Amino acid sequence: MKKNIFLGIILFLSVQAAYAGGGWPQPRGGGFFKLSEWWVISNQHFTDVGKLDPNVTTGIFNTSLYAEYGFTDRLTGVLYFPFFSRAYFNNTVSGTTGEVITPGEAINTVGDTDVSLKYGILANGPVALSATLTLGLPLGNDSGGSAGNLQTGDGEFNQLLQVDAGRGFRIGKVGAYANAYVGFNNRTNDFSDELRFGIEGGATFWDGRLTAILRLYGVQSLNNGALPSELSNSTSIFANNTEHLSYAPELAYNISDKWGVSVSTGRAFSGRLIFANPSYSVGVFVKL
Amino acid sequence: MRFTIALSAILLLFSGCIGDDVVFDTVPEAVRILNPVDSIMVGSTRQFEARYTNNIGEAEEQPVIWTSSDAGVLAVDNTGRATGLAAGKATLTAEVLPDGKAPVSDAIEVVVSEDEVVGGPSAERSGTIRTTSSYLLEGSFTLREDGNDIVLEFAGDYRASTSLPGLYVYLTNNPSTVNNAFEIGRVETFSGAHSYRISGVGLNDYGYLLYWCKPFSVKVGDGEIK
Repeated sequence: MKKNIFLGIILFLSVQAAYAGGGWPQPRGGGFFKLSEWWVISNQHFTDVGKLDPNVTTGIFNTSLYAEYGFTDRLTGVLYFPFFSRAYFNNTVSGTTGEVITPGEAINTVGDTDVSLKYGILANGPVALSATLTLGLPLGNDSGGSAGNLQTGDGEFNQLLQVDAGRGFRIGKVGAYANAYVGFNNRTNDFSDELRFGIEGGATFWDGRLTAILRLYGVQSLNNGALPSELSNSTSIFANNTEHLSYAPELAYNISDKWGVSVSTGRAFSGRLIFANPSYSVGVFVKL
Repeated sequence: MRFTIALSAILLLFSGCIGDDVVFDTVPEAVRILNPVDSIMVGSTRQFEARYTNNIGEAEEQPVIWTSSDAGVLAVDNTGRATGLAAGKATLTAEVLPDGKAPVSDAIEVVVSEDEVVGGPSAERSGTIRTTSSYLLEGSFTLREDGNDIVLEFAGDYRASTSLPGLYVYLTNNPSTVNNAFEIGRVETFSGAHSYRISGVGLNDYGYLLYWCKPFSVKVGDGEIK
């Protein structure tokens, strides 16, 4: 109940790294599947006043499957499933004696999972508009380790309603797109609700083989949850009242018409109660 | 085949290993007289005790050399047992000579009086806590004996951030680490006067209060106990 300070953000960043759709639903029978590894190793965090403070080095690794499948031309099912999630923190060692003061620990579990339905409101016009309902299933561990402060989930069931608007266009011979979204995340278990927002732009080069994407996105807590931070054991990314404003460049390379690989990184311009180190992601994807 | 290679490469990445975070936790060696008094009567005796703490603030058995600045006023033997011999003042010193290191000592001034002792053992210490992080932490405190316990009392000027998870307060001789520290308990009051009753600890056993965030495993603030 009270052990979730910074997790919401990890899932958010992970999904962002795997994002495929934007305002565009998949065509009927079409699909996008991505196997990826997302991780962050952090030794500092943004405090409640936005400054940087150190913390014991903590790592979170998510090996996940992201899938989109078009049930109809307008209705797409989306799954984000971190089937292997590892969280650890380092040993704390005396610089004077070399003895271990606090031994490090690790947990390996399934992570919190998102199941979504995306509906294409405007699919054929110049602007693609879609609405997505995401259910955040708390399948991860929100109180692992001897002190209960290792987490692969936030322990709460959340519902995110998001609207995306996207438009494709050309810059000379280069195909490009832009997408924007805003969402409201209703969180349970006394977590504060959130506003989520972002814009992204992408351009495709080398006969469609290489796509470069830049995302700017953020989370704003409504600070309406009763969960007190001071009585929790949570550490950065599974927290309550987490906020950040971040950017994430990504490169996706199409090896063939169906297969491709991607790399991305996410970094925060500013934040509150969240890890301050960059996250990274690599993945391999296939399109139906 | 390509998928298998890519999958193998990805799976290798999730094996994030536990490493070491090194804490710079060296403190000066110290010796402290644990049961000081202001005065004793002529003809009376008192067994003084001293504790040596090493360069990580850990209590360690070491021979203590007891001396008096005026053996005609206050005599002391090599176990720390002192006897008032004549009216006057003397400085009682406890000194430790750690192997290969500079000597460390603690000293108190003792009045030897023909009259009944007016000033009893020092029964209260005090200090001010301060933040060493970006999180709010401030206020003054006193530490006093109460029967066999000691009581840590914070004044009305105490304030601490409510944004930290798992904030704990400790007594320690090394303000850089919770190693060898005495855990008083989890912080549950974040403003105003409040107190903790502590058993099994002497008034002069520790030199600092330490505020520590357990989940982040970092120091939040401290306060020297004077």
